[in-house]
Amino acid sequence: MKEKVTAFFAGAAIVGSATLASAHFQMVYTPEMAMVKGGKVPVKLVFTHPFEAGHTMNMGKPEQFYVVRSRGENAPKKTDLLETLQPFTWTSLTNSGDAWETTYQARGGDHIFCLVPEPYWEEGDGFYIKQNTKVIVNVGGEPGAWMEPVGLPTEIVPLAKPYDRWTGNVFQGKVLVDGKPVPGAEVEIEYMNHKPLLDKNAFAKDGEVEAPQDAFVLQTIFADDNGMFTFGIPRAGWWGFAALDLDPEYTYKDKKCSRDAVIWIQAKDMK
Amino acid sequence: MGYKMLIAVLFSVCIATVASAHTPLCSCFDNGDETITCEGGFSDGSSASGVEMRIETPKGEVLLKGKMSEDSEFTFDKPKGDYVVMFDAGEGHKIKVPGKEIVE
Repeated sequence: MKEKVTAFFAGAAIVGSATLASAHFQMVYTPEMAMVKGGKVPVKLVFTHPFEAGHTMNMGKPEQFYVVRSRGENAPKKTDLLETLQPFTWTSLTNSGDAWETTYQARGGDHIFCLVPEPYWEEGDGFYIKQNTKVIVNVGGEPGAWMEPVGLPTEIVPLAKPYDRWTGNVFQGKVLVDGKPVPGAEVEIEYMNHKPLLDKNAFAKDGEVEAPQDAFVLQTIFADDNGMFTFGIPRAGWWGFAALDLDPEYTYKDKKCSRDAVIWIQAKDMK
Repeated sequence: MGYKMLIAVLFSVCIATVASAHTPLCSCFDNGDETITCEGGFSDGSSASGVEMRIETPKGEVLLKGKMSEDSEFTFDKPKGDYVVMFDAGEGHKIKVPGKEIVE
């Protein structure tokens, strides 16, 4: 009996870590995706578990971090931000982790922040994770090339503005790897349930909502045959979408590496 | 005759759609070197190139007049006193930006 109980707990521990492992989310965070006026904004790169404000992973120096600014019919302009990044520590509810930050001077139009992180070794899973992440900030309401692929190796291209969604709207995206759609891509979705407190570089202690069961912490949907997915937005705030393992044969340092693509949206209540 | 009418109707529908689906936008920024740059456009992403720009005193006297560039930008020397930036793309498409609200 004792043996069976031990085996049960061992099994539970494995299941537990597998669940947690799948909830990794690369954040590229700034307080407001739809800015009324331009100005200097903080940008924080944190690799964490946003729904539960859980374990924050140590990030190595990113391989690439840049912004593509576009306004109206003007040609998009790319600016490298890699050398502006400074290391700092982000505190979750359970630990602290190495993260990166910068400040950015934003004027009108779309600013597509693009992060190619250094692959993260996930001991529990025995593979690397590389989440190329995109966040689009708009200033003043004038759109730019938000709907165009920026050419990241893995990328979610939005079919709706990620910064103008009302609560109850849908968000649609197209999953690409090396510029080609990924039929049936698995997309995980998490709500940023604990407000990031930028003055403390930490998550707020209290969550906005409580998950009635674990399936609600991390929702899973699949893209259709064209790599397109649709999600109805039930609540205001930040929602992250991670398309996972888009190239199952991919390796890094002779180990399996999950090539993921992440995009965030920020929805607002109608009031 | 009927054909021409149809084209006329279609044409006017198109124009009405374009007109109602965009609003003018103009944001100005202080460049920190005694110049101001204004960026103009429309909410549907169309260009504001060629739109008339006026810098006026609060009483409406024109200090400076120009046009939005090919990139829908207009840069001018910051006036000494109070001023207002006027983005004038025609009736219903005008924007007034008070100089006091322009920051970096």
